[in-house]
Amino acid sequence: MKKLLFVLTSICVLTSCKTENTETDLHRVVFDSGDLEFISSSVNPKNETSSILYGNKEAILSLSNQNVQPIKGSKFKLVTWKYHENPQYIGGTITGEFVSIETLTTDKTGNVFYQFTDDSKSDNNPPDKEERVRYFMSYLPVERP
Amino acid sequence: MKAIKKKNTRVLIALLTVLGVFVGLQFLNDPLEEKTIVNKIEAPREVVSILENSCFNCHSNRPNLSWFDQIAPISWVVNKDIRRAREVLNFSEWNYSDVDHQGKMYAILNMVQSRKMPLDKYTLLHPSAKVTPEQIEIIRKYTLSLTDKQTAVDQENKIHRDLNLPENKTSKVIVSPNGVKYTDDFKQWNAISTSTFFDRSIRVIYGNDIAVKAVENDDFHPWPDGSIVVKSVWKQKELADGEIRPGEFINAQFMVKDSKKYADTEGWGFAKFSGKELVPTGKTASFAKESCIACHRQLAEKTGYLFDVPMKINKERLIQLLK
Repeated sequence: MKKLLFVLTSICVLTSCKTENTETDLHRVVFDSGDLEFISSSVNPKNETSSILYGNKEAILSLSNQNVQPIKGSKFKLVTWKYHENPQYIGGTITGEFVSIETLTTDKTGNVFYQFTDDSKSDNNPPDKEERVRYFMSYLPVERP
Repeated sequence: MKAIKKKNTRVLIALLTVLGVFVGLQFLNDPLEEKTIVNKIEAPREVVSILENSCFNCHSNRPNLSWFDQIAPISWVVNKDIRRAREVLNFSEWNYSDVDHQGKMYAILNMVQSRKMPLDKYTLLHPSAKVTPEQIEIIRKYTLSLTDKQTAVDQENKIHRDLNLPENKTSKVIVSPNGVKYTDDFKQWNAISTSTFFDRSIRVIYGNDIAVKAVENDDFHPWPDGSIVVKSVWKQKELADGEIRPGEFINAQFMVKDSKKYADTEGWGFAKFSGKELVPTGKTASFAKESCIACHRQLAEKTGYLFDVPMKINKERLIQLLK
């Protein structure tokens, strides 16, 4: 009986020490955009998310010309994160968890392909492709000297 | 009996020597310069009252020092702290625009909220200067109330006011007074994070390869020399559905790590290049010592004096997401 109690107690103690997100499991991650260039960013206060839109030369040209559809050979990537109040400064927000990565490409004949990947990997509510193409094309490359 | 008398004499001589040295030190006292009140901060009475009680002794031209603060050698430390404090923030020389007033109030709120100010060594001898949670709340409410009164247009006006260095228009190399050079290279670097700020700006923060590696490895104490972080700042442009996009360019803020060159500012060379002309901020090489580093040093020590590093996330889940 004593042995059984000891084993049960040990199991309880050992399992209670296991937490899902210990500090050591957490890391700061910088998204590598590869060959794609920064185009613009956005903040969605309703969803408390921020996004960065990357793209290749064709993608940038499509947006600069304010095209309705991306030109042939375009490649976009829209990366979205949750944002939080900056723990080091009241009055600022800062990037938190990754939410999704959306990719929009066009082939040599102009066919548009859209891919959505989020944390849940669920296909229950995939975003509407046409709506997302319109959304991507609503961006303008940022202005700066 | 003789031995006791001899011992007493030695103690007396020692005491007189200490007293003599102590009195002598008072002649070496370096009193604070008399300064007039140029323009006192204007804020609600309850806010000013808190600031007067907890901050004015060091951050104003009318310090109300205790007797022991004025005795050397304590006065040496006190006067040095006050001179430095006045350089960073002086409630008696409050010549700020509404936008700058708002920025200073946010800095004050962050300092008291994080218990970085008043300094522990100060409240140890002046316990009545401690800021209570209720007082912090009063400062917070007042500071947040300022946000709605400001617009990004004010920020733009400020930038135009700062445009005073025409020589940079013709110069191909734009250099901050402390030697930090503007470069377009950051536009090709990876984005470390994005942020927004109370002044209704939207920001993207870029890092060179050394800086990105430092972020991913939490290598902040110290950041490796050669790290460069650039924050690109725009006015917020709000769409009909409430989404915010970057509007007009405001400035590009650089932090360049060189532990030897910028030893006075924790190894970071700060620079800000504003407007279409990329006009550098600062009139002297030490401008960041009196402004930027004060907040970065007190509030962002955990991340090696940078505010805008991304938060920690679960990397395994991210790898799953990218598969």
